[in-house]
Amino acid sequence: MNAIIFSALSGVAMMFTGIFTTNKSAIRNVAVIALLGLIIVNLLHSYGIFVVRVNTHSMLQFETFGLFFNTLVFAATLLFVLLSGKDVTNAGTYGAEYFALIFFVLCGVSILTCYNSLLMLFIGIEILSIPLYILTGADKRNLKSNEASLKYFLMGSFSTGILLMGITLVYGITGTFSIEAMRPAVSVGAPNYGILEPVGLLFIFIALLFKVSAAPFHFWTPDVYDGAPTVFTSFMATIVKAAGFVSFIRLFDARAIEMGISWKIILPVIIIATLLIGNITAVFQQSVKRMMAYSSIAQAGFMLFAVYVNNDMSKEGILLYTAAYSIATIGIFAILTRMKDITFDGFNGLAKKHPVLAATNAVFLLSLAGIPLTAGFFAKYYMLAAVVKENGAGALWLVIVAVLFAAVSVYYYFRVIQAMYFKEGEPEITEVSGGFKTALVMLAVLIVLIGTFPSALLNWFYF
Amino acid sequence: MNTLAYLVPLFPLLGFLVNGLGRKSLSKSATGVIGSGVILASFVVSLLLFFDVKSHGATIATAFDFINGGSFKIPFAFQIDQLSSLFLLIITGIGFLIHLYSTAYMHEEESHHFARYFAYLNLFVFSMLLLVMGANYVIMFIGWEGVGLCSYLLIGYWFKNANYNYAAKKAFVMNRIGDLGFLLAVFWLLSKLGTVTYGDVFANYSKLSSADMTGITILLFVGAMGKSAQIPLYTWLPDAMAGPTPVSALIHAATMVTAGIYMIARSNVLYSHSEVAQNLVAIIGLATALFSATIAIKQNDIKKVLAYSTVSQLGYMFLGLGVGAYTGAVFHVMTHAFFKALLFLGAGSVIHAMHHEQDIRKMGGLKKKLPITHITFLMGCIAISGIPPFSGFFSKDEILAAAFAHNPVYWGLGVAGAAMTAFYMFRLYATTFLGTFRGTHEQEHHLHESPSAMTIPLIILAILSVIGGFVGIPELFVHDGHLLKSFLSPVITEQEHHIEHSTEYVLMGISVAVAAIAILFAISKYSKNPELGEPAGLGKILADKWYIDELYDAVIVKPLDALATFFKNIIEKSGIDGIVNGVGKLVTYSSRQLRLLQNGQVGGYILFMVLAMIVVVLIWVNDGYLYKMFTSLF
Repeated sequence: MNAIIFSALSGVAMMFTGIFTTNKSAIRNVAVIALLGLIIVNLLHSYGIFVVRVNTHSMLQFETFGLFFNTLVFAATLLFVLLSGKDVTNAGTYGAEYFALIFFVLCGVSILTCYNSLLMLFIGIEILSIPLYILTGADKRNLKSNEASLKYFLMGSFSTGILLMGITLVYGITGTFSIEAMRPAVSVGAPNYGILEPVGLLFIFIALLFKVSAAPFHFWTPDVYDGAPTVFTSFMATIVKAAGFVSFIRLFDARAIEMGISWKIILPVIIIATLLIGNITAVFQQSVKRMMAYSSIAQAGFMLFAVYVNNDMSKEGILLYTAAYSIATIGIFAILTRMKDITFDGFNGLAKKHPVLAATNAVFLLSLAGIPLTAGFFAKYYMLAAVVKENGAGALWLVIVAVLFAAVSVYYYFRVIQAMYFKEGEPEITEVSGGFKTALVMLAVLIVLIGTFPSALLNWFYF
Repeated sequence: MNTLAYLVPLFPLLGFLVNGLGRKSLSKSATGVIGSGVILASFVVSLLLFFDVKSHGATIATAFDFINGGSFKIPFAFQIDQLSSLFLLIITGIGFLIHLYSTAYMHEEESHHFARYFAYLNLFVFSMLLLVMGANYVIMFIGWEGVGLCSYLLIGYWFKNANYNYAAKKAFVMNRIGDLGFLLAVFWLLSKLGTVTYGDVFANYSKLSSADMTGITILLFVGAMGKSAQIPLYTWLPDAMAGPTPVSALIHAATMVTAGIYMIARSNVLYSHSEVAQNLVAIIGLATALFSATIAIKQNDIKKVLAYSTVSQLGYMFLGLGVGAYTGAVFHVMTHAFFKALLFLGAGSVIHAMHHEQDIRKMGGLKKKLPITHITFLMGCIAISGIPPFSGFFSKDEILAAAFAHNPVYWGLGVAGAAMTAFYMFRLYATTFLGTFRGTHEQEHHLHESPSAMTIPLIILAILSVIGGFVGIPELFVHDGHLLKSFLSPVITEQEHHIEHSTEYVLMGISVAVAAIAILFAISKYSKNPELGEPAGLGKILADKWYIDELYDAVIVKPLDALATFFKNIIEKSGIDGIVNGVGKLVTYSSRQLRLLQNGQVGGYILFMVLAMIVVVLIWVNDGYLYKMFTSLF
């Protein structure tokens, strides 16, 4: 509750900051302080201290998992702002407003991690999405940015329509928005709602699949990620996507069983399609930014395992995955924003000219590829282990397919490393400060630390 | 005393690190002092440990858990008992003398190579100490691999010579073959007993079936074959003389080759309960002793003769182990360490004086020019020939007596081998030191006795070679005179054998007489007329080492090479590469096609989404029909 209120207030405060000052570094500092405050009040919630007590009438329900996820997302945002805050203020004309929108997105995230009612799900998704449409078009003089924004809006609206349609069907047949109240439906003597309720749920799931860019609902992703200002792509690809997954898992926790066994075939098909589209298409890309868009689809395929199996291990896994994937992606995009040429060739010879950038970038890419000693390895490991734990040898084929696609991903991640280290070239790069490099090194160290002691992060989750 | 134990391997490790890392900046004298000093320090600590064990018994020092998995764990622990403390003294004591000697012998090397040499030497000693001190087979294995690595590094020390590199590779590969046996034995033990700690294994040996026991002991012996150069894995040791001479001394006397003896003596409880393995050990040992002795007779390289003599002496030790005379074998390790280190260092002194000439046909008459080397070398020769009261007599006699008790044929063959030993050693001695000088004028002009850093170790070793046997005087002469046996009795359960005293006198007399005759024959034959020409007939076969290297080459190396070539050219090029490249091409091709889905038209995207939704709903409406069909396929 603290997080929802405080993030909304911070958003408003950021808007006013934009009126009072145009000093970009002051704006950034305000944002950093607000984020720190956000993390603190969210942690306070865990200890039962509330800024304002609100009776939500069971529309929201707070659990350790959701709160921890909030902390993780806020911390990732903080890293993002510390690393790319300058690029946020430089992305378009209005510096403070972008931060305000980011805070609103965080507000949406906070709702999505604790909603207990389909209405709150809808509101959370919309609060999350609408600022993103604007952020995508932040570079308003750039045609590509405008196009991406419009596309995102059109397709986002379409998916919202599907979501609403689903909610309507479910409400119509069950008479309640509460996902909690629907839970006993699986027990003995539950009313049979016929076909409409599951179809409604199916629609809701499809809308969520759209949000997490699972194939074949992923089409918006490459165009939007490519067109949006790089710094906001970074934000969308990490923080927003992770929030989509958490809302998905929350709903699935309650309702998956009602979907019948068909879901056990639909979801694997979607996972494989996502892995296939993401990984295979990424192979041929010439632009690193677009490659990263496809890579985010591919990573979503892995994260979908946490939806497919729903146990403690997969929850630990999705947390680890969020942390690993967000840190690495934020790092890569931060470097990408400083590159003049964002094709693979643009990275040629980076290791000679900027060894720190190249080395940290290599660590991030290795983590995304899931190489041991990096966080990405354990993230993938937990996901696959959760699948095996839940379904035994029967799901082994799925694990094997996933690992094969992970092998394909090595190809395009290593293309960047190859360009940086083994090719000659004169990479053009805008000014990088010492602080920027320090932050990158810290991110890389964090990745290796999580990759070496993953339990340290997860133990924190259980306090 | 627990903490003291850690110091023993720690000093050489420090020496290795300092010399290895500081090789570019340290002066030669600093390197020499550090390199020898750390071993001396280890030796001092070893002495303390030895006397501690003598008065207070064995201790186990556990540093930490090396491997900890569920119910089984392998501690990183050192066992300081009678056996290991004795080996510690041999390793660090002889090791120190060799280090000291090396400071002079290697003085012509460039300073960073000099430091590299000492770093390797220290690492070698460190590995050997680990091997001996470990309280379980895994720690022993770490040292076991370590000495293998160090021997590789040191044999190939002059890495610019391709032949030396080949010799180094050969040593490494041969050792690895043996190591596999050792590893399998350790795994076997682990799977049957769940522990590899000596104390637990030996206490629970009765839980092993006799088949297990035989399998494990034979596999361990395979490991020993590699490390201690027994048939069929012996060929690396003669080639190992490619390294600097002090390294040969280290490998042959103090470290490496004694590892196999140590390991079997350590596992004596297991071997005593497997007759098959014991017989195998005895037979292989005896065969190696005889076989390599025949080869040594016709070698003309001073170091090669000594190398084959080591193989032969190791064979005696294994014979001793095989007939249950574990103490005798350990005793022989000790005396052999004295006189073989002496002989190698003496040979080094000769080579040093002769400006790296190793062919004894070009020597002769060195007696006057190298008086200290000559007299000490002679001591070594007498000791190895088993003439009383020199050290070799006592240890060899103990093994032969036990062999007689076991099987008189073993004894007979053993004495024949001893005669050959005496013969080739004095052939070597006579050709090198007696007669007239046969080298060039240049060499004769520069002949000189070696510096004192080299002669002092020689003198010390010569003294040890002469008196070293008195710790094991047989019952026959002095009641309770076998100090070594009573010292080792807590760790080694001797298999009792009884021979009448009169018989023992006769046996002893025969072996000494035979050795003496062989010595006199060799001296009279070679002091005036050394064989200078190329040997013919049987001599040629012996000189060419029974063509064993060629045999291995034809039977193992060549077919393997052919197979590798086949795999490389056929399987890999068209098979593996084809698959790999094919997969890569498939991926890039499908990538190019899939990319076209992303055509930028929002309408198209939404169409795909709607189609997908319809499919999803259809699958659901089927109510698991597809799922059932799908699962029935598997």
